[in-house]
Amino acid sequence: MHLIDCPWCGPRDEAEFAYRGDATVTRPAPDAGIDAFYDYVFTRANPRGWHVEWWHHAAGCRQHVKVVRHTMTHAIAATGRATDILEVPAA
Amino acid sequence: MSAPEPAVPAPRSPLAGVATTGRYGAAGGTPLAIAEIPAAIVQLAARRGRAGDLARAVSGAFGLDLPPPGRAASARGIDAIWIQPDAWLLLAPRGAEGALAAEVKRAAGDAGSVVDQSHGKTLMSLAGAAARRVMAKGCRLDLDAPAFGPGRAAVTQIAQIGCVVHQRDAIPTYGLVVPSSLAIPFFEWLTSSAAEFGYEVG
Amino acid sequence: MTGRAFRIAGGGHIDRSRTVRFRFDGKEHSGHPGDTLASALLAAGVRLVGRSFKYHRPRGIYSAGPEEPNALVEIGTGARRTPNTRMTTAEIHDGLVAESQNRWPSLRFDAMAATSVAARLLPAGFYYKTFMWPASFWEKVYEPMIRRAAGLGRAATEPDPDHYEAAHAHCDVLVVGAGAAGLAAARAAGEAGARVLLAEQDFLLGGGLLLEPAHEAWRGETLAAIIALPNVTVMPRTTVFGYYDHNMLGALERVTDHLATAPDHVPRQRSWTIRAREVVLATGADERLVAFPDNDRPGVMLAGAARAYVARFGVVPGRRVVLFTNNDAAYATADTLLAAGADSATIVDFRPFGTAAAAARARGIEVLPGSEVIGVDGGTSLYAVQVRRRGTWGSTQVPADLLCVSGGYSPAVHLASQARTPLAWDARIAAFVPGEAARQRSAGGARGVFGIGAAAHDGAAAGRAAAIATGCRVGSEFVLPGRNGDADPTVMPCWEIAAPGKAFVDLQNDVTAADIRLARQEGYEHIEHAKRYTTHTMATDQGKIGGLVGAAVLAEARGLPVEQVGIPTYRPYVTPVTWGAVAAHHVGKAFAPIRRTMLHDWHVRNGADFMEAGLWLRPGFYPQKGESPWDSVLREARAVRRAVGICDVSTLGKIDVQGKDAGVFLDRLYMNTFSTLAIGKARYGIMLREDGMVFDDGTTTRLAEDHFFVTTTTANAARVMEHMDLYAQTVWPDLDVQYCSVTDQWASMSIAGPKARSTVARAVAGLDLSNEGLPFMGVADATVAGCPVRVFRISFSGELAYEIATPAGYALAVWEAVLAAGRADGIVPYGVEALGLLRIEKGHVAGSELNGHTTARDLGLDRMAKKRGDFVGRVLAERPGLVDPGRPTFVGIRSVDPKRQVRQGAHLVEPGSFKSLGWVSSVTRSVELGDAWIGLALLTDGKARIGSRLVAAFPLKDEAVEVEIVSPHFIDPENARVRA
Repeated sequence: MHLIDCPWCGPRDEAEFAYRGDATVTRPAPDAGIDAFYDYVFTRANPRGWHVEWWHHAAGCRQHVKVVRHTMTHAIAATGRATDILEVPAA
Repeated sequence: MSAPEPAVPAPRSPLAGVATTGRYGAAGGTPLAIAEIPAAIVQLAARRGRAGDLARAVSGAFGLDLPPPGRAASARGIDAIWIQPDAWLLLAPRGAEGALAAEVKRAAGDAGSVVDQSHGKTLMSLAGAAARRVMAKGCRLDLDAPAFGPGRAAVTQIAQIGCVVHQRDAIPTYGLVVPSSLAIPFFEWLTSSAAEFGYEVG
Repeated sequence: MTGRAFRIAGGGHIDRSRTVRFRFDGKEHSGHPGDTLASALLAAGVRLVGRSFKYHRPRGIYSAGPEEPNALVEIGTGARRTPNTRMTTAEIHDGLVAESQNRWPSLRFDAMAATSVAARLLPAGFYYKTFMWPASFWEKVYEPMIRRAAGLGRAATEPDPDHYEAAHAHCDVLVVGAGAAGLAAARAAGEAGARVLLAEQDFLLGGGLLLEPAHEAWRGETLAAIIALPNVTVMPRTTVFGYYDHNMLGALERVTDHLATAPDHVPRQRSWTIRAREVVLATGADERLVAFPDNDRPGVMLAGAARAYVARFGVVPGRRVVLFTNNDAAYATADTLLAAGADSATIVDFRPFGTAAAAARARGIEVLPGSEVIGVDGGTSLYAVQVRRRGTWGSTQVPADLLCVSGGYSPAVHLASQARTPLAWDARIAAFVPGEAARQRSAGGARGVFGIGAAAHDGAAAGRAAAIATGCRVGSEFVLPGRNGDADPTVMPCWEIAAPGKAFVDLQNDVTAADIRLARQEGYEHIEHAKRYTTHTMATDQGKIGGLVGAAVLAEARGLPVEQVGIPTYRPYVTPVTWGAVAAHHVGKAFAPIRRTMLHDWHVRNGADFMEAGLWLRPGFYPQKGESPWDSVLREARAVRRAVGICDVSTLGKIDVQGKDAGVFLDRLYMNTFSTLAIGKARYGIMLREDGMVFDDGTTTRLAEDHFFVTTTTANAARVMEHMDLYAQTVWPDLDVQYCSVTDQWASMSIAGPKARSTVARAVAGLDLSNEGLPFMGVADATVAGCPVRVFRISFSGELAYEIATPAGYALAVWEAVLAAGRADGIVPYGVEALGLLRIEKGHVAGSELNGHTTARDLGLDRMAKKRGDFVGRVLAERPGLVDPGRPTFVGIRSVDPKRQVRQGAHLVEPGSFKSLGWVSSVTRSVELGDAWIGLALLTDGKARIGSRLVAAFPLKDEAVEVEIVSPHFIDPENARVRA
C-alpha cells in the first residue's frame, strides 16, 4: 500500500485515494477536434519507469494530487498540487 | 388552506434509538466516554482569491483564526477545522435552526460560500485514556505525538466511513464528524472497538 | 513405546508445576504451560501425527516452529474448528481439542494410503494429463475423487462465532523477530529514542536464545531493559506476514487462541497494519532438509528442532539418535540429546573428517565422516537408518528411533524478498542472503550472520543504524553475548542423496526430487514454471525448509549453479492467516457500512421490504397482509396514478454549488445550459463523460445568482462529486466555484399523483400552490409542521408531483405531517419498485439506460444539448461510431400477450432469427395498461420499428416472448399531468 504525501494533509494511506490516471495529458481547447480529444481521453504512453499521475484524495481533502511515481518500483519521487509542475527523475 | 405555523420542533438525531445512555463492554476501570454532541455545523469555503478577506471577516466576527491544514482552532464556543484548501467546518453548540449558518454568511459576505451541514453531519466524541487504542482499530492516521495532538485535525476514513478527526485535549478527547446517513454504522464500529476497554454512552 | 518418560526432569521454558489437559484424536493427553501441541505430544510418545497431502504417507513432527510442513491439525470443534494449524506453534490449553487431518478411517490405518502404491500413476502434473478423458467425467468423477483424496483439514461449515479486529500501528523502527538479533536491535533502537515495535511470532521472546541456558541471563536482562523503555512496544504472538509498498507491513496477533476461556469483548485475533519508517528484519534462518529416500518418515526431524524439544520443552524426541549433517552447528543437537539421556548418537557427516568430528569423537560420540543417509527403515515410526560411505556402494543399517537432519540454514528472507530486496548468493552458507534496500535492513540469521553472539552484535548495529536513519542519536552501549561460542557456519552443500526411493523436497505438497526433474524434462525449467508444474513451495509452509533444495535439484538437472536458477518469488502470507482476521470488523451487517435515510425507522415500522442501492437501504415496497410483492407494487403505483403517493427520495445525490462562476461551471459539466436558469427554477440536466457517453442526470435548481442546488442519481452521487473535483481542480482551476455534498443535510420526499396538490396544500404553510404560484419546475421555501422545507415542483412519475426537502432532522415530522394531510386523499407510501414502474411508464431513463454505453442521442435526449459553448463530452459524442444512425435507440416494448413476462436483458430479434437487434433495459407490469408487461429497450432503427413486432429472446430461460415496439412514453406524452 502506497503512502502518498498529500501536499495538504501529509503522508496518507493509498486507501484514501482514488487513482485518476495520467496527469501529463491536458484537456484540448474546445475546438481542437475529435482526434485531439481522442488522444486526451484514450491515448496513453504506459511508461515503464517514472510517471506523473493524478491521485484524488477522495477520503481526505478531496484534492487531485500530482504524484511522480515509478511504475515498476512504486517509489514516489515527488507529490504536488494540481497546478504544480513537478520534476521527473531521469531514470 | 394553510396550516397554522407551529414552533420549529427539535430535530431528530440519526442515532435516535441506537445511542442509548448506559455503561457497556468490559467491566472495571474507568470507562471510555462516548457521546453524540448536538451541534450546529457549517461548511465555509473562501471564494476564489478571497481567503484573506474571509479570514479577516471571520476573525472580526467570531474572534476565530481560520486554521491552516491539519489544524483546528477554537474561540467563543466555535471550533473551526480545516477540511480542504480554503475550506473549513465550523462547529458550535446547537442553537436555533440555521442560526450559525446565517451568522457566518453575514460575516463572510461575498468572500465565502456558506453551507449549513448541521443535519448532514453528526458529531460524536470519544474520550478516555484508551481512546487512541480505540481509534487505531479503524483510523489509519498516526495519532501519537508528534504526528498528532491537541488542536490537530484530519479528514480521513474510518471503517470505510469518511470522518473528520479533531483531537480536543490531552486526555485524549476526539471529536468525530461523520455523514449523518452513516452515523449508525460509525457508532457501531466505535462502540464495538471500545468494548474491550468498557465505555459509557452519555 | 518404551516405559521411560520422554519428558526430562529439569530445564527449558515450561512450567512443570502445572498440568494442562487436552485431546488429540479423541485421546486425552497432558502437558505443561509453555508446551506447544507438538512438544506435549512428543512428550506423550506420539510420533505419527498426520497423513500427507497427495500420497497419504504417515508423517511426524518435523520442526519446532512456523516452518512446519507435516504436523498440521484441526484445532477446535464445530464452528471453531480451524484446519491446517501448525502443532509446532499452537500453545496447549486446558480443553484444547485437536484432530489429525487427511486420514480415513484413522491415522494409523489410512485407506487412502493405497495411493502410495499407485504413486507411479500420480506424477507431478498428473491433474493435467490423467483426467482429460472423457470430459464428462471431470465434474462427476475425477474432481470429487481428487477433492476427497487430496487435501488438508476441513474448514468449519458454520459461521465463525469469534470476532476479529483490524488495527493500525505506526513506528520509527519495526523489529521483526525477537531472537538475539531482534532483541539487541529493539534495545539499541529504543535506547536511541526511536519509537519501536518489536513483533515476535512466538509466545516467548528469545528465538534461539531459548535453547541456550548460558545466555538466559542476557535474555532476561535485555527483555527487562526493553520492557522498561516506554517508547518500545513488544508484541508477542504476532506474526509479520507481509511486507508491502512504502514500508507497510501486515501482522497477525493471536490474542486469545492460547486461552482456555477468552475474556469477553476481546477479539480472537487482530490483524495489524504497520507503517514503519525503518524496518529491521531479524527473522532468523530456517534449517533445510536433505532430499534422501523416505526423508519424510515419522522419526525424521530437523536437527535444530530436536535440540529445541530438549532445550526449550524438556522433551527427548528419541533415544537412539542418528544425526545427518553438512555443518558444525548441528553437532550441538547430538550433545544436547545425549546430555538429556539419549542412549546413543551417531553423527553421519557429509563432509570429510574435520575438527568438529574430531572434537565429537573426543567427547565419545561416534562420527561417520564422508557419509550420507540413503534411506530409513520404518513406517509409522523409525527403527533404523541406512548409511553409506560417500562414493561407495552398499550401506550399513544403524538402529535409530530418531534421525536428525541438517542441510544447513537458509536465512528467512521472505519479508525482505517481498519488499523486492535483491537476494545474493552466499557460498559459505549455501543460501541466499538479502542485499541492500532502502529503509530496511536484515540482521542476524536473517542475513546469514549465525551464532548467538554474532547475531546479537549484528542486531544491535542494525537497530542503531535504523534509529539514526529516523533522526535519533546513538544510544548507550550495552553488554552483548560473546561470539566465542558461535559455531562455524560454513556448510558443504548437500541437497539430494542419489538413491532409489521417494526423496521429498516439499513435504507438505508431496513433491519429490524426481518430480522437479520431470518438470524440467517436460520443458518447465524456469524455477517459476517448475514451481507451478510440481506445486513445489506452493503449500501453506511456502517451502521454508525445502524450497532451496528443490531449486538445487532443478539447478543440477539444468547443469547450472543454484544461484543462477534462483528461488521462486516469495509472496505474502509468510504463514497462513485466518479469513476472519482479514475481514476483521467488516463481516455480517458491517461488511460494508449501511446508509440509512432519516426515515429508515418509519419504513421498518411500516413493514418495508428493503433493497440495496449502493450503500443505501431503500424501501422496495410496503407489503400488506396477504400481498405478493407484485400486488404491493401495483397497489402503490395505482395509488399514485389515481390519488396520491409519497416516496422517500432522500438518497438522491445533492450538491450545493456556489461562486461567481457556478453557472459557467455547470454549463461546462452538463450538456444543457444552467447559467440562463431563472432564480427559483429547476431544470433537468444531462451530464456526459468526456468520451461522449451519458454519465448522469438530475434536476438543478438556481437558488441565487451565484448559488445552485444540483441533484444526481443515487448511484452516481460520489462519482459526480469526483468528476466535479477533477474539472474544477485540474481543468478549470481559475473558476470561482465552491461545492460540497449536501446529500445528508436534506431529506426529501416525493408526493405524486392527481391529488398531490390537495395533500401538499394541507401540509404546507406559507405557499401558493396554484400553477401561477408554483408552476411546473418551480421552487419555493415554506414550512411543514413548523419545519423549514423547500418545495420543488418536479416529477419523475409523470404525475403532478412535489418534492419536499427538509433539513434531515425534521424528515420524520414532515413525512408524518404530509401523511396526515393526505389521509383524506388516500395517500399511500410507495417504494423504489413502484417508482421504477411509474418512470418506465413515463419513459424516463434511469440506471439501466444510463449504463455507460448509451449516448444522449441513443436515448433521444440530444435535443437538450446546447448549440454553442464547451461542455464535457461534446466533442467525442460526435465520433462517427456514436452518431451512426444504426445505433440502437430508445423505444418502448409491450408484451403482445399482456400476461407474458418480458425479462430485463432479453435480446430483441426477428422471429426465428438469432441476430440481436437490441436489448431490453427495463421491464415492469403497467398499472396504466391493465397490469400488462411493458418495458424500455434500445433497438436498432428503433423509431422506424414502432408499431412492428419482434421477439424478446431470453435464451438462459429458453424464453421467447412476442413484443410490440411502441413509443417509450406510455402515458401522457404531452406532459399535461405534470403541469396540471
